[in-house]
Amino acid sequence: MTGIAAWKIGIATLFIGTIVGYLGQRSRFCTISGIRDFFFVKDSYRLKGLIGIVVGGVIGFTLVNKLGGSLSSFTPGKWQFMPMLKDGLNVTPSILIPLSAVGAFFMAYFSVMAEGCPFRQHVMAGEGRLSGIIYIGGLVAGVVFFDVVIVPYLQLLTLRFPN
Amino acid sequence: MVEGEATAAAKPTRWKPSFKLSGNMALITGITMGVLAAVVQGYFGLQPPAGDGICGISHPANIVNWLVNNIFGTKFTIHSIFVTVPVLTSVGFVIGSFIAAVKNKEFKLRPGPVRDNVLAFILGFLIINFGLLWGSCPIRTAILASYGMFFAILMLGMIVLGVIVACLYIKWKVRRA
Repeated sequence: MTGIAAWKIGIATLFIGTIVGYLGQRSRFCTISGIRDFFFVKDSYRLKGLIGIVVGGVIGFTLVNKLGGSLSSFTPGKWQFMPMLKDGLNVTPSILIPLSAVGAFFMAYFSVMAEGCPFRQHVMAGEGRLSGIIYIGGLVAGVVFFDVVIVPYLQLLTLRFPN
Repeated sequence: MVEGEATAAAKPTRWKPSFKLSGNMALITGITMGVLAAVVQGYFGLQPPAGDGICGISHPANIVNWLVNNIFGTKFTIHSIFVTVPVLTSVGFVIGSFIAAVKNKEFKLRPGPVRDNVLAFILGFLIINFGLLWGSCPIRTAILASYGMFFAILMLGMIVLGVIVACLYIKWKVRRA
């Protein structure tokens, strides 16, 4: 990839992140709180945001596909309903399925304790909330820990259970 | 008719987008996220992997790994498209939120919902580690689910289950206190 093309991607991500961050601050959007609020007090305001992502995803890939964009999983110019459905549970190695399930479950569990999904924590940090800023510090330390400690074990597991 | 009234009626009002907290603002934000995630992938080449236009787990992990690799010369995993330039979505989240908060006079340094700073740090640490096991935040999971990825639909179910179990634990703790 050329330097200019790479910078185009970097700037596009910054631009889109800024738009989404702005909207997230104005709407108090949070995926985890959406499910939590609905479960606790039957308030569907934030849950609509999670539903909106699914609706937006369908609209987005339809528009991009029809207007000549290129999405790797889809056949260009052709309407496809849920194009990745055919992949099913095609994950190699299969040991990643229970590990991912554990990861998704506890990510959600601890996000309820932190009172917000990772996106909401970024937004709270931008609003000047101390817990959001410190959370991001923990997140940075966690990434390094994952790379140094967890990844070697994952590599051992995937070698032990190849399929 | 008085002359002044006629002038006031004829004056065209300029349309301004409203970002006030309305009943459907979260829905609009969600739809915008879904559309922008597809646009950034389809037109700016932010792929593979699929459905990775917006993510609160893999994008921060990519930028941290990029920085650590460039500063300390390590070889932590980065998505191939972000080897030259880091993904700046998570920086954008903070900047966008900061602009919105300042513009609407809501920016103020104050404690967040988690009052204990050590706990906030530990939660961030734990959430990124569990999130990286699955590889996606709830936003990207929903995007992948909308693309029909059965595995993501299953993981969205696990996320809902995780939230429900946490809520039940909080309820139990409150009743016990």
